[in-house]
Amino acid sequence: MRLATVLSGLLPVPDGRKGAETSRAVERLMRPPGTARELDPLLVWPAVALLLIGLVMVYSSSIALAEGSRFTGNLPHYFLLRHAVFLAVGVAVGLLSFQFSLRQWQQFAPWLFMLGLVLLAVVLVPGVGREVNGAQRWLSLGPVNLQPSELMKVFVTLYAADYTVRKLPDMGSFRRGFLPMVGVVLTVGCLVLLEPDFGAFVVIAAIAFGVMFLGGINGRLFALLATVAVIGFVLLIWLSPYRRDRIFGFMDPWQDAFGRGYQLSHALIAFGRGEWFGVGLGASVEKLFYLPEAHTDFLLAVIAEELGFVGVLTVVLLFAVLVQRAFSIGREAIHLERYFSGLVAMGIGLWFGVQSFINMGVNMGLLPTKGLTLPLMSFGGSALVANCMALAILLRVDWEVRQMKRGANL
Amino acid sequence: MRRQRPVTFNHNPLLEKGLPAWRARFVLLALLLGSAALVGRAAWLQGFNHEFLQAQGESRYSRVIPVPATRGRITDRNGDVIAVSTPVRSIWAIPGDARLTPAQTRQLAELLEMNVADLNRRLDSERDFVYLRRQLSPETARRIADLGLPGIHQHQEYRRYYPGGEVMAHVVGFTGVEDSGQEGIELAFDAELKGRPGSRRVIRDRRGQIIEDVESIRPPRDGKDIVLAMDNRIQFLAYSALRQAMQQHSAKAGGVVVLDARTGEVLALVNAPTFNPNNRTGLSGAQLRNRVLTDVFEPGSTIKPFIGALALERGKVRPDTTIDTESGRMTIGRATISDVRRYGVLTVSQVIEKSSNVGTVKMAMNFAPEEMWSLFDELGFGTQLDLGFPGEAAGRLRPAKSWRPIEQATMAYGHGMSSTLTQLARAYLVFARDGELLPLSLTRVESAPAGSRVFSVETARMMRAMLENAAGPHGTAPKARIEGYRVAGKTGTAHKLEGGKYVSKYVSSFVGFAPVSDPRLIVAVMIDEPSAGQHYGGAVSAPVFARIMEGSLRSLGVAPDAPLVPLHLANRVEEQKGNM
Repeated sequence: MRLATVLSGLLPVPDGRKGAETSRAVERLMRPPGTARELDPLLVWPAVALLLIGLVMVYSSSIALAEGSRFTGNLPHYFLLRHAVFLAVGVAVGLLSFQFSLRQWQQFAPWLFMLGLVLLAVVLVPGVGREVNGAQRWLSLGPVNLQPSELMKVFVTLYAADYTVRKLPDMGSFRRGFLPMVGVVLTVGCLVLLEPDFGAFVVIAAIAFGVMFLGGINGRLFALLATVAVIGFVLLIWLSPYRRDRIFGFMDPWQDAFGRGYQLSHALIAFGRGEWFGVGLGASVEKLFYLPEAHTDFLLAVIAEELGFVGVLTVVLLFAVLVQRAFSIGREAIHLERYFSGLVAMGIGLWFGVQSFINMGVNMGLLPTKGLTLPLMSFGGSALVANCMALAILLRVDWEVRQMKRGANL
Repeated sequence: MRRQRPVTFNHNPLLEKGLPAWRARFVLLALLLGSAALVGRAAWLQGFNHEFLQAQGESRYSRVIPVPATRGRITDRNGDVIAVSTPVRSIWAIPGDARLTPAQTRQLAELLEMNVADLNRRLDSERDFVYLRRQLSPETARRIADLGLPGIHQHQEYRRYYPGGEVMAHVVGFTGVEDSGQEGIELAFDAELKGRPGSRRVIRDRRGQIIEDVESIRPPRDGKDIVLAMDNRIQFLAYSALRQAMQQHSAKAGGVVVLDARTGEVLALVNAPTFNPNNRTGLSGAQLRNRVLTDVFEPGSTIKPFIGALALERGKVRPDTTIDTESGRMTIGRATISDVRRYGVLTVSQVIEKSSNVGTVKMAMNFAPEEMWSLFDELGFGTQLDLGFPGEAAGRLRPAKSWRPIEQATMAYGHGMSSTLTQLARAYLVFARDGELLPLSLTRVESAPAGSRVFSVETARMMRAMLENAAGPHGTAPKARIEGYRVAGKTGTAHKLEGGKYVSKYVSSFVGFAPVSDPRLIVAVMIDEPSAGQHYGGAVSAPVFARIMEGSLRSLGVAPDAPLVPLHLANRVEEQKGNM
């Protein structure tokens, strides 16, 4: 029943066919025509567009790699097939997630968060977590690998919103409102940094503190926190030569273009080659083994080369629309005094906004190079499933808001 | 655990304060500003800074690669191919990609004709690129490609192929791996043969594979074909005759030069021992030496006709002038010159016919050293031929001022001076061409170049008649005779100099031409250290001459100028005459 509603929500409801429930039918009759949608098309279509562009571009950017590597059995469709399967799983998980009300999600939030913590701890156990390129981030589950830090991003969003709503009266207090969350974030941060996955830590911290900021934490406290965070990041960067190298590579990639600046310089070359309208789909040279991680972290560079500035602009705009809609939905939920829903929606918007900004900034050399994928687009099963799950929760908030606006009491 | 739900009608001031709308707007604005920054940055990179970035890209994956020019062919005068570049394929591997099963490795090793351990060692290399085998035949390469092995690649190269093999080896020489001439014609005409490689700009992926042809910068210009003066058939004749003689006389080395008397073209040029230019493993220096051009020897009696001709030219003697060779011994200073036999009184003609040292020296002593020196110089002794061959020798001809009488005397019969076989053969052009000398040519010429006159026509013809006698039944080389043609020539048997002393080792030579009525070919034969009993030029070299001359004249279709009396019959007639 709900599933049908969800699917029909993507389309304008025809005037002749009304809902089965009489109260709703009456409700709808009283609303002006054109607004009778179950879901926000400005949220759904950009998300679908990003997912589909991602699918095409993952294929385009990975085809040479897949064909030329013995790890993939020299199959050109290797990454495409997997990405398509992940997408299907993601959509299924999304449909499932949509079935739960935000109230239920709020109840799940601490438990999910705990589950996330356990998974993050398990992944660090030697022999259990799978290590790739010096980072132990994956749990091997038969044919697929699970990346707990990606799921943690959803769980942190839910947990931070739940925490903030629970502690609303204490938001002004350092000890009761602020300190516990700092402790939580540091715990998660430690686990994530041990993998190491600096990018995930940044995103998780941004979501947690962002949601608290939106939830009205003491302004001065937040400024203090921001200062501490900045100092912390700087320290983390200085203490790790690996990260420091990446920073310097970003400052001037041409200075050491064949060493530290290698990846970024090739990403920038891809942008330059694309010009306004791109070299054409499939015609990228950079993806031919020059640009590492072309189908994951540096997908945007391949988009830039093949589809040009127009392609990049499209992707940026789609993300901007998505983020704007998330915040707008969040605001409506808060107007309806659904604070948890509102904060979750904004948290998800924040997540997509921050992560896509960092990823794209890294691709363009605006930010230091770090391993973050482009949400909804990059290759990677756990990330895709987590993104779809978040999207479904966001849509659920939207759906609930619409239902409440029609007078439903949820 | 149940949480209290916010109640819609009860506006909690704390909550109002807790969720200020401006913060959401602020965060959203910040994110949208971020998006704007991204768009701005993208526009800068893609619309304004793209030239710099593209130049950086070009420098990484755009390469100018050479387009090889095909090396020119070398053919003989009739267009038969002597050297040609054939496409071959080189097999290389990216060791990191080449993960082969043991069965695949065995298959590959078999096709590459390598052993499995060697192949595995190469595939274990840390490098990104290893040659497995270069210059493999296209068929084998195709069979390797058909295996479809990962990480095994091939590319095209050219390899020089010499159909003539060891017959032509010294003339043609060979090229190195980089397709540049190393020896012989390949080196002498390298500039023409090589052509000019072109170049094109391509885009390559990081593994080096060409993915796009950007532009052709310069088209390749293929090398020019070289048409040699050489005649395949004559070359082969000379080669087989020389090889047979080498075996028969257990000789150390040998050489043959065949010249076209009408044009000065080198029709054949053979050395022994030789080598196979298609498979040059384990070559020795002795095999590589182009003796007829780079090794000098004391020509011996083959020099005598020039002294005789000079005496005739200067009117000092006539063919029937008598010279007393006395007891076959002659003392100059403290040295004694001797003949093999006591000839007594001989005519000039007989001096040449019998190859009398004493008679020749008596003629020579009529001249000032300068006169003899300038004769030798005009004939080309002591000067490089400038055929363009690497390491061509000039021979030794000391300045006349330093000559002592005994030296002048020995030089009259070809000792105390040296020359290459080719120089000697060329000098005989003056007899074959009525006194005129021509420059030699390794390449085919359309018409005879301008010559220089050394002797008058009469002198040359008189000497020709004498040389015909020398190759006649009473001369030193009756074995030089051939059926159907009148031949003329002179033997030479020189002691070898070892450590400044003459030892009992010989160089036997024969230089002659035919047909005498209108000379067409000059054949010079040199056999170094014949050691199977015989060493006289008439016995060792003359039969080689006869074989080569006869076959060559017939193959060229030269009209016979002697009655076709079978030689063994003629010999018997001569013998009967002798007995009478």
